[in-house]
Amino acid sequence: MNIAFWIISAVAVLGAVLAVTLRNLVHCVLALILFFIGIAAHYFLLHADFLGTVQILIYVGAVAILILFAIMLTHNVTGTDGPRELLGLKWWSGAAIAAMLAVVLTRAIQGDKLAAALPAGDRAQSSVAEIGKALVGGWVVPLEAIAVLLTAALIGAVVIALEEIRKSR
Amino acid sequence: MEEHLQQLARQQWLIPAIPLVAAAIQSLLPRRARKLSAGICITAMGLACALALRAFIATLGHPEAVREFYNFPWFEFGNTSLQLGFILDPLTAAMAAMVTFVGFWIFVNATGYMHDDENFTRFFCFLSLFAAAMLGLVVANNILLLFMCWELVGLCSYLLIGFWFHKPSAAAACKKAFITTRIGDVGFFIGILMLFWKTGSLNLYTTDGTGALQQIGTQLMGHGWFGWSVATTIAVLLFIGAMGKSAQFPLHVWLPDAMEGPTPVSALIHAATMVAAGVFMVGRMYPLFIAGGSVEQPTFAMDMVLYVGAFTALFSATIAVAQFDIKRVLAYSTCSQLGFMVMALGAGGLVPGQFHLLTHAFFKALLFLGSGCVIIGTHHEQDMRKMGGLRKYMPITFICYLIGMLALAGVYPFAGFFSKDEVLLVTFQRSKVAWGMATFAAFLTAFYMTRQMFMVFAGKWRGGEDQGHHNDHSSHGSHEPHEVPWNMWLPIAVLSLFAIGLGFFGGKYAHYLGAEEEELAGKSLVMGLSVAVGAFGILLGWVLYGRNPQAHASDPDPLESKLGGLFTCLNRKWYVDEFYEMTIIRATMACGTLFRVIDKRLVDGILHSIVWIVRGISQVCRVVGDGFFINGGFDAGCETVRGSGWGLAKLQSGRVQTYFRVLGLGTIILLVVYFLKS
Amino acid sequence: MNIPLGHYLILAAILFAIGLAGALTRKNAIIVLMGIEVMFNSAILNLVAFWHYKHFAVPTAQLFAMFSIGIAAAESAIGLALVIAVYRHYKSVDVDEMRALKG
Repeated sequence: MNIAFWIISAVAVLGAVLAVTLRNLVHCVLALILFFIGIAAHYFLLHADFLGTVQILIYVGAVAILILFAIMLTHNVTGTDGPRELLGLKWWSGAAIAAMLAVVLTRAIQGDKLAAALPAGDRAQSSVAEIGKALVGGWVVPLEAIAVLLTAALIGAVVIALEEIRKSR
Repeated sequence: MEEHLQQLARQQWLIPAIPLVAAAIQSLLPRRARKLSAGICITAMGLACALALRAFIATLGHPEAVREFYNFPWFEFGNTSLQLGFILDPLTAAMAAMVTFVGFWIFVNATGYMHDDENFTRFFCFLSLFAAAMLGLVVANNILLLFMCWELVGLCSYLLIGFWFHKPSAAAACKKAFITTRIGDVGFFIGILMLFWKTGSLNLYTTDGTGALQQIGTQLMGHGWFGWSVATTIAVLLFIGAMGKSAQFPLHVWLPDAMEGPTPVSALIHAATMVAAGVFMVGRMYPLFIAGGSVEQPTFAMDMVLYVGAFTALFSATIAVAQFDIKRVLAYSTCSQLGFMVMALGAGGLVPGQFHLLTHAFFKALLFLGSGCVIIGTHHEQDMRKMGGLRKYMPITFICYLIGMLALAGVYPFAGFFSKDEVLLVTFQRSKVAWGMATFAAFLTAFYMTRQMFMVFAGKWRGGEDQGHHNDHSSHGSHEPHEVPWNMWLPIAVLSLFAIGLGFFGGKYAHYLGAEEEELAGKSLVMGLSVAVGAFGILLGWVLYGRNPQAHASDPDPLESKLGGLFTCLNRKWYVDEFYEMTIIRATMACGTLFRVIDKRLVDGILHSIVWIVRGISQVCRVVGDGFFINGGFDAGCETVRGSGWGLAKLQSGRVQTYFRVLGLGTIILLVVYFLKS
Repeated sequence: MNIPLGHYLILAAILFAIGLAGALTRKNAIIVLMGIEVMFNSAILNLVAFWHYKHFAVPTAQLFAMFSIGIAAAESAIGLALVIAVYRHYKSVDVDEMRALKG
C-alpha cells in the first residue's frame, strides 16, 4: 500500500510544478486539473471518500472550468506568457523564498516526534451518513453561513464582471 | 533739696516739648488764623519761660554748683542701648532762662513786624519749632541729642532765612547758610564718632561715672591725630562745628547773607540764640578742651579757639565799619562779638565767655529789634544813607537803641562794659597778641556803632529824596517815618532794662557757675585801656559823622573819602565771598561737571557696551544656535523624515508580487525564529 | 499502510512551496491565482492527514475541509471576476502593470 502513496504524491507534485511552469495557459490549467485529481486520490487514500468526491466535483468540475473561462475572456489564450526572464533576479528571489520555506517546514516537521506517528487501529471506511447528520445537526450554522457566503460571492462576481460590460456598452 | 532738683531734672524735657507741641498744632492751622497762631506760639514760649525760670531759681538756692541729670534709653540694639538724657546745671539753667525770656519778647515784637505779611501763621510755626530745637540743645545731656537739635536749629534757620523764598537773594542766602554750617557739622560729627568710640558712651554725665565727660582722665588721654591727645583731637573737631554755627572765620560768610530773613529772625537766631549755640557747646564740652593742658602750656585746641576767635573779632569789626545796610552792620557786629566769646573760651575763661554770651544776647536782640522798628517805621527802608533824623520821629526806639549801642560799645555802667572787660582781662593773661587784636576790635566796635547811631538818628531825614515811587507798603500814609505800635516797642524797652542792669551780676555769675574768684594781673591796665579805646571810638565817630551829618543820601561817606580804596575793600567784605566763589565753588562745580561727564561717558559707555555685547550675543545665538542648529536641525530632521517617507513609500510599489515576497520572507524568518527557540 | 504522518506533512509542505513559487514568480494574474489554489489544496491536505492519523473517530475534519473548499472556490470566483474587470480596464493581465496603488 505504501507504493500508492508515492505514486499519487508524484502525480500531485508533477501537476503542481507543471501548473506553475508551463507557458501555455491552457496547458497550465490542464496540469492544475491533474494536480486536483492527485489530491483527490490522496483523500481517498486517507479514507476521506466524501471529501475526495467533493474535491473532484468542485475543483475539477467548477474551479478549473472557471479558470478556463477567465483565460478565454482575457484574450491571452495563446499568449507568450511564460515564466519570467529565466535566471532573472525577480524569478530567482521568488524561487528562493519558496525553496527556503520548504526547507524550513521540512526540517521543522522532521524534528518533531509527532511526525513519526503511525495510523492506529483499524481504519474502517467513514460513513457519509455521519457527515450528513453532522452537517444538519451540530454544524448547521456553518452550513448556512457558507451558503450565504457563496451567495454573496456569486452576486459579487456577477456585479464585478458585469459592471464592465455595461460600461463598455 | 536734692530730690527736688532731681525732680526738676526729670522734667527738663518739658521746656523744649511745649514749643514743639505748639509748632505741631500751628502747622495745622489755616492761614487766616493769625491771632490764634501767634497766641499759641507766645503762650508756649511763656510757659517754657516759666519752667526755665523755675529751674533757674531752684539752682540759685544751692551753695555750690549742682549738676543733676536724667538719662533714659532711647532704643536698644543687642546688648547695648542708645541713651538720651537731660541735664540741669547752672550753665543749662541760665542759658534756658535767657533763651526763653529773650525769645518771648522777640515773639511779641514779631507780631508787629510781620503784621502785613500774608504768611504770618507759617512764620510763627517755624518760630515755635526753632524755640523747641534750641531749648532741646540747651537741656541735652547727650551729645547725640545735642547734635540732633543742632541740626534742627540749622534747618529752622534755613526755613526762616528763606521765608521770603520768592526773592532770589533770600533763596540763595538760606542755601548758603545751610551749606556753610553743614561743612562745620562734618567736623562735629566726626568728633562725636570719635568720642563714642573712645568712651563708649554718648551721655555726657551718668550716675555711674561712665559719661563721656567723666572718662577724660581714663580714656581720652591716649594718642590722637597729629600728636595731640585724643581729647584735644575731639575738641578740635567739635570746634569746627562751632566755627560753622557761630560764624567764625572762615565759615562766617553765611551770617551777613542771613539778614535776608525777617528782622525778628535775625534777632532771635542770628544774635541771641543759634549763633550762641556754638559757644554754648564749647562751654558744655569744656573739659575736653582743657584736658591735658594748663595755663602755661595750653592744648592745641585752646590755642586754635583763641586765635580763631581773636582774628574773627578783628576781621568782622573792620568790615562792619564800611557797611551801609543797617542790618549788615549788626550782623558783622554779631560776628565780631562771637569772636570775643570764642576768644575768651580759648583763653581759659569759661565764665567770661558765657557771661558775655548772656549779656550780648540781650543787647544784640535789643539792637536787632530796634533796627526792625526802624525798618518798619521808615516803611521798609534798610539803607542807612536814606535814613537820618529819626530821633524826632521815633523817640522810644531811639532811646532803647541808644542804650543798646552803649552796651555794645562797652560804656560804663551798661552790661557790655563788664562782660567785655572780663573777656579782655582773661585774654590778656593768655596772649598779648590776641589781647591787642581784641582791643583794636573793641575800638572799631565803638566807632561803627557811633557811626550807625549818627547816620540813622541824627541830622535830618534823607529818605524822601528818593525819586522813585515806594511800593505798596507805604501807601497808607505819608512818606515820613513814624513810631511803631506798642507790641514792637515794649519788647525793646524790657530788653533795654536788662542791657542796663545785667552787667552787675558778673561776679555772682562766676560764683554760680562754680568758678573760683581769682585775682588776675593787669586788671587796671586792661580796664583803663578798654575805657580809653571805647571813648576814642565814640569820639572819632562823632568827629566824622556827628558834627556834620550828611545832608543828602547821595553824599559820599566821610570815611570813604579818607580811606579810599581800603573802604571799598572793607565794604566788599575783604572779597572773601569772591575768593570762595573763585576757588572752592568753582572747584566743586568743576567736580560736578567732571562727574557728569564721567557718568555720561564712562558709566553710560559701559552700559551701552554691555547692551551692545548682550545684543551681539543674542544675535549670534539667533544665527548660530537658533538659525543653524535648531532651525537647521529641525529642518534637517523634517527632511530626513520626509525623505525616509519617500524612501519607505517606495516600498509600496503597487506590485502585489513584491508584497507577497516580503510576506513570504517574513513568514520564513518567523518560523525559523520560532523553531530555533523551541 | 505504514506511512508516517511526517511524510504527508512534508508532501503538503512541498506542494505549498510549489504553489508559493508560482504565485511569486509568474507574470500572468491567472497563473498567480492558480498558484494560490495549489496552496489552498496543500493546506487542506495537511488538515485531512492530521484527521486521519489522530482524530479518526469524528468526521469533523471532513466538514472543516469541505467548508474550506467552499470558501476557496468562492474566493477564486471573486478573484477571477476581478481579473476580468481589471482586464477590461488595463487591457492586460500582467501583474507588473497593475501598479495604480503604489505609494
